[in-house]
Amino acid sequence: MVTKRRAGRKPEAYLPLPPATFHILLALADGELHGYAIMKGGTARSEGGVRLGPGTLYGALKRLLDAGLVDEGGERADPEHGDERRRYYRLTQLGLSVARAEARRLDAMVRAARRKKLVGERPA
Amino acid sequence: MSAERFYRLLLRAYPPEFRAEYGGEMVLLFRDQCRESDVRTVGFWARVLWDVARSAPALRVEAWRENTRTMEVIMKLAAMLTVLVGVLGVLNAGVEWGAAFTGTISGMHTLSLVLAVCASALLLTAGAAILLRRPQAARLALLASVVLFVAARLLHPWMSPFSLIVGIGLPFAFLIALYWPRKGNPSWGVTP
Repeated sequence: MVTKRRAGRKPEAYLPLPPATFHILLALADGELHGYAIMKGGTARSEGGVRLGPGTLYGALKRLLDAGLVDEGGERADPEHGDERRRYYRLTQLGLSVARAEARRLDAMVRAARRKKLVGERPA
Repeated sequence: MSAERFYRLLLRAYPPEFRAEYGGEMVLLFRDQCRESDVRTVGFWARVLWDVARSAPALRVEAWRENTRTMEVIMKLAAMLTVLVGVLGVLNAGVEWGAAFTGTISGMHTLSLVLAVCASALLLTAGAAILLRRPQAARLALLASVVLFVAARLLHPWMSPFSLIVGIGLPFAFLIALYWPRKGNPSWGVTP
């Protein structure tokens, strides 16, 4: 059962997001995924920088479900990963708004760092 | 012992409700990891243990915090106790007043008794406010009660040490409980 108790809050109220949480939202922006696909997506996207173990992943998913940012999308088998039935997760409208707000926040920070020539150019 | 059996043992570090909801999925994910990694390496088990050590305590704390029902019962009992202490405080000041009237009573003593009665009445009001779920009114009443108790003690030392401890300590403890930071922002737990 998804808790919607915080659904009335502004997306900015959830920021900043921990990297693992943002990676989960990023992965789910592509559509419904099960835990293993979320984990693989996070590791690949961060080039190994973020490793989501089962405890970290499902702990974060539980918090996202409680906050109403993620919803459960039912259980079914994934032919690519065996016959076991897996629980799928998807972004809610609020989750999408929070992911966008976090992306904007990070983008502004990167632009500020670029202006200071901390990224994009080799330091002198 | 197989890797999966050992991982199932590790899952006991998580809160029972969390395990019931996500334990099966976590084992599936662990199985996927085992298929893709060499389970005989130290690095693999170090990552598994680090994941459990980092996430389980945070989830335990969250589960404990979510157990608000217990806290509500404690708050209700404490509020009833506050009402009782308020009534006893009024009676105590009344008895002291009666005893003082048999001799001469100074202006300071009278004022101190009046303040103690007001402080006890405020304590009673605070207890009722907590029971009626009016935290703002309860905070104000408790704060005023502490101030009046301290003022009454400074004006005239008629109160017993026990009365002082209860009269000042109880509203003070309640003020801490009512001002204790609530989870305004969502807690995201561990930040890997």
